[in-house]
Amino acid sequence: VKKISRLGHEARLGWTLVAPALSVIALIAIFPLGWTFWESLHLHELRMPWLGKPFIGLANYIEIAKDPRFWAALGHTAFFTVVSISLELVIGLYLALVMNRVFRGRGFVRAAVLVPWAIPTVVAALLWRFIFESQGGIANALLVRAGILKEPMVWFIEASTAWVPVILSDVWKTTPFVALLLLAGLQNIDLSLYEAAAVDGANAWWQLRHITLPLLKPAILVTLIFRTLDGFRVFDLIYVLTGGGPGTSTEPVALYTFNALLQNLRFGYGSALSVVIFAITFGLAMFYVRGLGVKLGGEK
Amino acid sequence: LSDCDGESSYRIPPRGARFAERRRIQPFAFTHGYLVRVGRAAAILGVALLAACAPASKTGETVLTFSGSALGAEGTLVQKQLKRFMQLNPGIRVELQRTPDDANQRHQLYVQWLNARVGNPSILQLDVVWTPEFAAAGWVLPLDPYGPARSEFFPATVIANTWAGKLYALPWFADVGLLYRRTDLVPNEPKTLEEMVSQAQAAMARRGGPRYGIVSQGARYEGLITGFVEYLGAFGGRIIDDKGEVVVNRPEAVRALEFMRDELYRTHVAPLDVLTWHEEEARFAFQNGNAVFMRNWPYPVAAMSDTSQSKVAGKFTVSPMPASATAPNGHSTAALGGAQLAINAYTDQPAAAYKLIAYLTAPEQMLERAQVVSQYPTRPALYSDPRMRGTIGIPLENARRAIESATPRPVTPIYTELSEILQIELHRALVRQVEPQEALNSAAARINALIERTGMRKLMSGGAQESAP
Repeated sequence: VKKISRLGHEARLGWTLVAPALSVIALIAIFPLGWTFWESLHLHELRMPWLGKPFIGLANYIEIAKDPRFWAALGHTAFFTVVSISLELVIGLYLALVMNRVFRGRGFVRAAVLVPWAIPTVVAALLWRFIFESQGGIANALLVRAGILKEPMVWFIEASTAWVPVILSDVWKTTPFVALLLLAGLQNIDLSLYEAAAVDGANAWWQLRHITLPLLKPAILVTLIFRTLDGFRVFDLIYVLTGGGPGTSTEPVALYTFNALLQNLRFGYGSALSVVIFAITFGLAMFYVRGLGVKLGGEK
Repeated sequence: LSDCDGESSYRIPPRGARFAERRRIQPFAFTHGYLVRVGRAAAILGVALLAACAPASKTGETVLTFSGSALGAEGTLVQKQLKRFMQLNPGIRVELQRTPDDANQRHQLYVQWLNARVGNPSILQLDVVWTPEFAAAGWVLPLDPYGPARSEFFPATVIANTWAGKLYALPWFADVGLLYRRTDLVPNEPKTLEEMVSQAQAAMARRGGPRYGIVSQGARYEGLITGFVEYLGAFGGRIIDDKGEVVVNRPEAVRALEFMRDELYRTHVAPLDVLTWHEEEARFAFQNGNAVFMRNWPYPVAAMSDTSQSKVAGKFTVSPMPASATAPNGHSTAALGGAQLAINAYTDQPAAAYKLIAYLTAPEQMLERAQVVSQYPTRPALYSDPRMRGTIGIPLENARRAIESATPRPVTPIYTELSEILQIELHRALVRQVEPQEALNSAAARINALIERTGMRKLMSGGAQESAP
């Protein structure tokens, strides 16, 4: 009996000690989430007070499910995420392998590579918009001079070409981040493995496939988590570059949500959209952590 | 959305800059709103505490807050006029409350405040397309009890501010879509849209002629709607008719949209670039001598008349957009923009607020506005006043004609969402993702769904009953 009460006492002390942390989490994460969910069950249009704020159950979610613009936006987001992350991983890995070598000026290169990452997204997006925007822009001038284009084109009026600056700018800006994460992973690999492989006559390709990539897997997965979640929430880049156009051909879910919530002030519907985005990103994160076995804690 | 209206069109930074500005201003705005409320609470507390021990020094003084364009020369002018008003009305003190100059931001802020039933600012500066929304929401007061002189303003500006038979705001200054023309290339004003296209083609074909025929605002934003409204009127079409039916997919509207598309792909008078352009890109093209015609608001007149930065100074004029020769019901149409003043429904000083609105929209103040910041008066009588001469940089007669041909965009509380639907569908048709008829059918279906969803029909019939004597 005495032992149990002592345990109870310790447990109580434990809860007391973590209470401040838990209440902070509740305040900044759980409360807003719950509030948003509650809001999403209502018809609440800030601009139309005559509608009142009735409870409408899942009607907002049904409207989302029936809205072709939402599904299109989801498709755009997935397309953007998959294409840009694939490019970033390949180029980032290449850069990381280069930076992992010992050469003169390595410190300088490592710092220089980070420059695009250091530029605020809005500024970077404006730069890329400037490059692609006009028929006399830099992109058109270079491509015409190189003979790739016969005459200057208007990039932002066709869906297929409007994606080019969007993806290019994201790859340009985020590859350094990917490269640095992978570089950190590379530096954890024991060099003696390569020496042993070389002694056994393995060439560089074999070494990459059988030593580097398997040992780099944790770093790659962590990178994937970060980038997938970022990609799914892409907003500012597209907002500045294409505004979601032409039509709504490059509109991602975050921009659509922003539009419903903050432009049209449809709080109920916009909250439902936010909940959907949350569910998707949460699902993705769970998939990576559970399904692919990514260890976020860092234990071996 | 409606940044082509009102004063915000006078300084339009590139999109991204506006975004940056939004991020910068927003926290300030929230803080400011918060401070105002905290300030008021503190003031009430302070008054309660002081009331017992000290004689109130300012008893009987009415305090109004005015929020409106308060930057640069415009801000100085507003402050000057407010000061004069206070001298004329010793019992009333007016405080200037700063609000973001970007139309979208100001709108968002107003909506937040009014949802919280905040009585400040007591006078709201509204964009021309907001009045029905604010009126239907009960956020602004009808002005009819104060006996406003409706007939002294341009009819279109009064219609735009009327909801369910009542007038909710007075037009402060007008903005209007104009057709700019290079007089050295095209001496005669085009009488029809078709003539405008052939004049543009002829001027482009001349040796050393400009690259572009007609430049305008074709990006997917509010500016696209204002341009569309002008072509629509030219072909005799409407978006919503007088009975509240959505008619934007009728043959006239389809022909208007087809005409706009032909300018891009068939007659080639408009460059494809305009599909990404806002006001400023069009101005640059015209100002650098690269275009024969331009559709724009009045704001570029000053810059384009300045020889140090303009290649077309003294070589351009403006006229109203012409009607189509092929449409029997078509008429010359200009989109209407501009700023209105309305009374916050939660203010406790509505009578004093109206006094200030009446003062600011009086002929003398409007005249001064035209003289100092070249903004167009909303009173037709002023256009024959000799003191107006030379104030707005273009012939007064042309300006008056343009405003007389002005048509408000649909006067409905759901305008903003309606406009968003149209922006998307029009842009899809213009970039050739879909055919004009298909785009407009889809727009009509979605606008009808919007009307259902927001209970507009009930609201409109209810409003009509309410306005009946």
